[in-house]
Amino acid sequence: MGSLNERGRVLSLRNFMDRPEGWGRDQGRHVYQRLLRFVEDNAGTIVFKVSMKGVQRLDISFASETVVELARRYRRFKGFCLIDLSDADLIENLDAAAKKKDQPIVVWTGKSAEVIGAEPSEGTREAFQFAMTRAQARATDFAARKGVSIANASMKFKQLWEQGFLLRRESVADSGGVEFIYRRIE
Amino acid sequence: MQCVVNLPAQWVDASKLETALRSSCGPHDARSFEVSFEFPTNCKVMVDAAIRLLALANQLASTTRRVRMIFAEGETGTMGYLNRMGFFDCLAAGIEVLPARPSFSAAELHRGSNRALVEIARINKNARDEELPTRLTAALMSSCGKRADAKELEGATWTIFAELIDNIFAHSRTPLDGFAALQVYSGGNRISVAVSDSGLGIMETLRPSLRTEFPTLVGLSDTELLVEIFRQGLSRHGADRGCGLKGSAAKAIKFNGELDVRLPNQRVLLTPARGTYQPNTAYCYEGLPLVWGTHIAFSFRLNP
Repeated sequence: MGSLNERGRVLSLRNFMDRPEGWGRDQGRHVYQRLLRFVEDNAGTIVFKVSMKGVQRLDISFASETVVELARRYRRFKGFCLIDLSDADLIENLDAAAKKKDQPIVVWTGKSAEVIGAEPSEGTREAFQFAMTRAQARATDFAARKGVSIANASMKFKQLWEQGFLLRRESVADSGGVEFIYRRIE
Repeated sequence: MQCVVNLPAQWVDASKLETALRSSCGPHDARSFEVSFEFPTNCKVMVDAAIRLLALANQLASTTRRVRMIFAEGETGTMGYLNRMGFFDCLAAGIEVLPARPSFSAAELHRGSNRALVEIARINKNARDEELPTRLTAALMSSCGKRADAKELEGATWTIFAELIDNIFAHSRTPLDGFAALQVYSGGNRISVAVSDSGLGIMETLRPSLRTEFPTLVGLSDTELLVEIFRQGLSRHGADRGCGLKGSAAKAIKFNGELDVRLPNQRVLLTPARGTYQPNTAYCYEGLPLVWGTHIAFSFRLNP
């Protein structure tokens, strides 16, 4: 597995599609197989920035079978975020597809991020916002900042990782024990 | 027994078509071996009714019934209008048309030259036309392209067509063609988006899976279940599917769209309330004459 610090690789969705419109489950499944091959061929890449440049339309079924399914399949191990996406209709369809599969997906516009699809729960929202505003986050940092127990902070981050909001890697803590370092998907 | 469906001498939408079907002895009735559809003078068939009629007539022809369409005004009346839509290009060859089948297809003649013209698109499972949602939506933009919300309207309509037509490919399991059409009425203030198939009705495909996939919904009536199909998104393939119909409804609701779903023996009308479709604002007509398949029409009333 490659370093978690490497920059995300751009995956241009349009290059995997036969036409600028993505329509229907069957077409989605064909495109998904191509995407899967690309991801497997880039085994060392942890984060894929899916560029929507050149994609004119996507229906909800197509979005569900491609980008959303990819993010769900690799949840906890790899991250998929969206870039070059400003069309309200595309965002709405991707959001509907991701919500149905309970999968969060981060949309980056420059340095600002918006999550579509699944939303963090009430209990983890603050921890998620904390992680989104820095390159990497430790439970100990969040616990110290918010005055909560380390166990509580760890649990929140673990949940966010399991649900596909964040990625993490193992590290050695100052104490010598194992510590997880969490990071946003970008 | 001969079954006669008398259409009224006025604009015929899906509701008027139902009234005419109810007044007949039921075209699919086992005793009906011959079915006539009569279009009197001043009868004008709207697009949602036209594709349901087309689907029904082709269903009847596929069961070896003798089917006849009688147009009192000939090509100067609604027949000419239906011809421009491509109705007769899609009508089964064995169906008799009186006074005579149009000698040429007006839809064929105009195709590509006038994008505002409504055209019935054939949905053939063996020859998927990948451009279909885009082509159907283009007709809309030539009528409504100057509206401030044109782009949003175009996106919504494209998604509705894409999802409904894809559903036919995925679920309807029939050799008969499905149909889709769009029409803009009265100065661009009303849009009708209609998709029909002649396969299994949506309830027949979904009901058997309820016990395993959605056990809490087993006790719902068909109307309540239909509302949930469009509100929650339900699919026989499980909880993470079914987003297409739900998403289509969400798009239509943004334009205060009314939804009309014709099932084999029922028709359900849904009107949006508080941003969603709800069981208490759904109207259901039960015990209607049999029409195979699922026929869905969204009707948007746009602000000028």
